[in-house]
Amino acid sequence: MPQRFSTLPRVNHKRTYARRARRADLLVMLLWTSGAAAAALFLASGGAAQFTTPAAIMTSLGIITGLIGTDFILVMLVLAARIPAIDRAIGHDRAIAVHRSLGKPALYLILAHGALLLIGYGMSTGFNPIAEIGPMLALPDMPIAFVGTGLLIAVVVTSLVAVRRKFSYEGWHLVHLLSYIAVAFALPHQLSVGGILADGTVQRAYWIALYLIAFGSIAIFRFIEPTISSLRHRITVSGVTTVAPGVTSIHFAGKNLRSLGASGGQFFIWRFWTKRTWWHSHPISLSAMPTSTSARITVRDLGRGSARISAVPVGTKVSIEGPYGLFSDAARTAPKLAIIAAGIGVTPIRAFLEHARFAPGEATILLRASTEEETYHWDEIRDIAAAKGALCYVMIGHRSPVGAGWMSESDVRRGVTLAAAFPDLARSDVYLCGPTAWLDLVEKDVRATRIPAHQIHAERFDW
Amino acid sequence: MRTRAVLGSLFASTAVLVVGWQAGGAVLANQAIGTTTSAPQASGTSGTTAATVPSATPLPSATATAAPVAAGPADGTYTGSSVNTPFGSVQVAVTLSGGTITDVTAVHLTDADGRSRQISNYAAPMLRSEVLSSQSAHVSNVGGATYTTRGYLQSVQSALDQAGF
Repeated sequence: MPQRFSTLPRVNHKRTYARRARRADLLVMLLWTSGAAAAALFLASGGAAQFTTPAAIMTSLGIITGLIGTDFILVMLVLAARIPAIDRAIGHDRAIAVHRSLGKPALYLILAHGALLLIGYGMSTGFNPIAEIGPMLALPDMPIAFVGTGLLIAVVVTSLVAVRRKFSYEGWHLVHLLSYIAVAFALPHQLSVGGILADGTVQRAYWIALYLIAFGSIAIFRFIEPTISSLRHRITVSGVTTVAPGVTSIHFAGKNLRSLGASGGQFFIWRFWTKRTWWHSHPISLSAMPTSTSARITVRDLGRGSARISAVPVGTKVSIEGPYGLFSDAARTAPKLAIIAAGIGVTPIRAFLEHARFAPGEATILLRASTEEETYHWDEIRDIAAAKGALCYVMIGHRSPVGAGWMSESDVRRGVTLAAAFPDLARSDVYLCGPTAWLDLVEKDVRATRIPAHQIHAERFDW
Repeated sequence: MRTRAVLGSLFASTAVLVVGWQAGGAVLANQAIGTTTSAPQASGTSGTTAATVPSATPLPSATATAAPVAAGPADGTYTGSSVNTPFGSVQVAVTLSGGTITDVTAVHLTDADGRSRQISNYAAPMLRSEVLSSQSAHVSNVGGATYTTRGYLQSVQSALDQAGF
């Protein structure tokens, strides 16, 4: 078997990473430049001459904050749209992280927009800003713009970590969908009340194009493409098998599943169409590469939702969104591979190893479990490792109270270290997958070796 | 790689802002030319309105009563010139009766956008009452409605000029 792999041309990971990094940098540049472009719209309408009186300065700043705030919200929609090109460049996780980090600044800009304009108008007419609200609401399109701002506040407040914990995912998501309405409600007043986006201007065309891109990408990649893909592949549950107590593999049957183009380590968002489960979608990694007619995931009964899906009857219709994520071969940057996975976190690693291209001796794997019972799919991983020439260590036992806490106590006492298991760590891509608390410990240990951040690929797994 | 993204963003953002600023400068220059060239145009149109409107609108009785007064301007409604502002043109009609300004009506007010319409709506009544009480186009600026005020008063003045008020 090994010779089959050694004939493969050696992939230059450095070059593929350089290409991906260029695309990621381009996205960062696009983000910031779109903000600058929003301010430039104001300048292009002769706004620079408006900075004369204090009232005019307030009004001008109010217009600029409104433009930049709206631009950020549109960028957030694009980042949440799961556009394949963005997913391939920076990965779904980072896209969502950037999306989250823009939420509060965007809301503050929109609130500043309202406040500054009320103050500026108030200063120029001699009314107090609150008294300006009345005449402003009398303008066409302004009432729904106020409603939009209220919705936006609701969306951001429910997304604050402390508040979000009190909501179920579905409840939170339902509120989050209001952001589409909030942004749509803001558009009419931008086009009618503001002079910047007046009829027949280049600014108006640019702005409408931004809205079309944001809403278009949401419509296409969040709704239309997944629907077509689900209809085309006709996926159904073909079997549910127990791997260990509380852990089940769900097998799917479908048409042409290879053409989904999934890479090992990627996930899909699954929806099981039974009366009790259809309203809940589950992001779950593949635990084996799909064949043209079958696919497999492996889940642990943690949340109430996952307990229910392990009980779905054979024949249940399944719809999918995906594949998503950069926890795959496509993220490689360095010549060697170091893989550390724990518990149910071994499932994407199992698919990754099956799919990834690496030469014999290139990859080293360390599997962790607390007890013998939690060694899910280890037999399969060992087989693949043997066939592809990867070194596979295993470590069973509860987390050590001393030393490197992610290892088992007996191994820490034996003197096992990260450097001992992975002597080539500095030239390796490190793939980490497991429960968050455990993964934080490993990642800290890996980062302590000062290997570049782009060589670390972590997937936190809590179900 | 991060450095490249930061530098690239800075460069691209600056470039976009400079382009916007330059385009804005061009817009302002055009507006300046627009107002200077439109002034003679406006007086030209006011010339034609002066020729048609005062002769057409004054009531026969008004001209009859105007004759004995002799020195005062003829009664009637005089339409002022249309004055361009960045927020739309402004044009008013002034009604004279017995040598006094009895009414000012708006023919057209700044309406480039909703905010301009809002400003027009509150500034016009104020300007009208000030013109009526001062009997001239020399009234103070309405705060927050500088362009509307300027256009309004210019148009009033041109109407008064036609009437020989």
